[in-house]
Amino acid sequence: MRSILTFIVLGAVGVLVVAGCGGGGSSSSGSSGGGGGDFASGAEAACTKANKAIVALGTPQQEQVTQYLEATEAVIETLHKEVAALDASGSAETAYVEGLATAIPELTKMSNAARNENFDAVRELSAALVEIKLGELAEAAKLKSCAEVPVSES
Amino acid sequence: MRRLRVLLLASGAITLLASVGVAWATTGATTGYPQPKVAVPATIQAPFEDRYVLTAVGSGAGIRSGEMKFEFEEGSSPQFLVGISQFYTYGPTGEIETSLFTFYPPKELAGGKGLGFTVLKVGASAQYGQLTEDGELRLFTPEGDKVKGELRLHGGGPWPVEFKVLDDDERYAGSPPPAKQIHESEPSKTGWGGEPSEYEGEYELTNGAEDPTAKAGTLGAAIGVAQGLGVKGAVVSSGSMKVEGNPPVATVDLETGGTDRTFTLTDLAWQADLRVAQVHNEGPDSPPVGRFEGTGGQGLVKGDLVSGHSVYKVEFQLK
Repeated sequence: MRSILTFIVLGAVGVLVVAGCGGGGSSSSGSSGGGGGDFASGAEAACTKANKAIVALGTPQQEQVTQYLEATEAVIETLHKEVAALDASGSAETAYVEGLATAIPELTKMSNAARNENFDAVRELSAALVEIKLGELAEAAKLKSCAEVPVSES
Repeated sequence: MRRLRVLLLASGAITLLASVGVAWATTGATTGYPQPKVAVPATIQAPFEDRYVLTAVGSGAGIRSGEMKFEFEEGSSPQFLVGISQFYTYGPTGEIETSLFTFYPPKELAGGKGLGFTVLKVGASAQYGQLTEDGELRLFTPEGDKVKGELRLHGGGPWPVEFKVLDDDERYAGSPPPAKQIHESEPSKTGWGGEPSEYEGEYELTNGAEDPTAKAGTLGAAIGVAQGLGVKGAVVSSGSMKVEGNPPVATVDLETGGTDRTFTLTDLAWQADLRVAQVHNEGPDSPPVGRFEGTGGQGLVKGDLVSGHSVYKVEFQLK
């Protein structure tokens, strides 16, 4: 089971790395084109890929939480890089990008706590992620895919 | 001389501790323990040379789970066993802490009932490598892959303990399953009430909280996973329960942070307003992963559902 999760995690991160390269290409065209429309389409595409990668991680068992959080951290980092490379034109778009940036160190803390098997701390630290209200920020920036919560079937 | 003995013990313990969760070899990890003053025949000790997982413990000991192994001190003559354990204990405020113990020296229990060991606590906050006497572990003659015994710690006990011998390829990697908590006044009546009609049927969760993932976008999944962790009570946003069958089994569906979880409760028992059950993650035939303990009566059941490191505080009302 652990090896399967590791495989999925590596696969998800691999997809993101490839996706990240592709995202970089589209962001350069977005930058050259400028305008909120390019940001929206680029961000929506990046969020769709990120959501798919997170869904692919499934629901971890207790002993898989560290790997799960590390993989999620990698997904959000890639998402942030892709979206930050786009041309955010309004305050709502900027706030969304900042929300992603705020989430990364919080995910790092959660991964560290999971590594130490301090699961209460993982839970308590997640309150900081809740506070970001990333879904609301995405809605304000009219980013439908980014506002969606990825739901795993497993 | 006493100083030298303490140093030797500490050295042996450190070497042994380094092997916990890494090697779990059946031989070769214990070194540095001095020859005991009283020798126990190797034939009496040999049945205990094994790796174990804690399966049941008196609730007063405050131990959630644990692993243990005994092996013969390398190169000892006459041979003697040394034990090492890693117990996960409930701290004063409910958090889980790791406690390390070694068991030395062995002594034969009266009447050939088994082996006893002095429990040596490995200090974390005291001097590096310090060992202090902290109680006694008595292990009775193994029956199949089960070993029962008694444990005294920190001046308390004795509490009953039960261990299961691990197969060579069985590993818990530092995350042993929760042991059954043996309560002094364990409810003995089957079911959750005098008549099945009092407790069988469909229940609804009445203490659901707002879903913390609802406005979290892409971060929602990670929040959902995190909110299902911890011993202080995970946030449950919705749920239901169905109790049926003979013997009765409860199927509990909970949503925590956007993640759906299903638990099966078996061995439902009651006494006065106390309600308890074993918790399983993958159906009634899967190994128990925790325990439900709460109160109930008149169509209400509420309490803590423990699954691994997670505790779900639930209140159900019969529809």
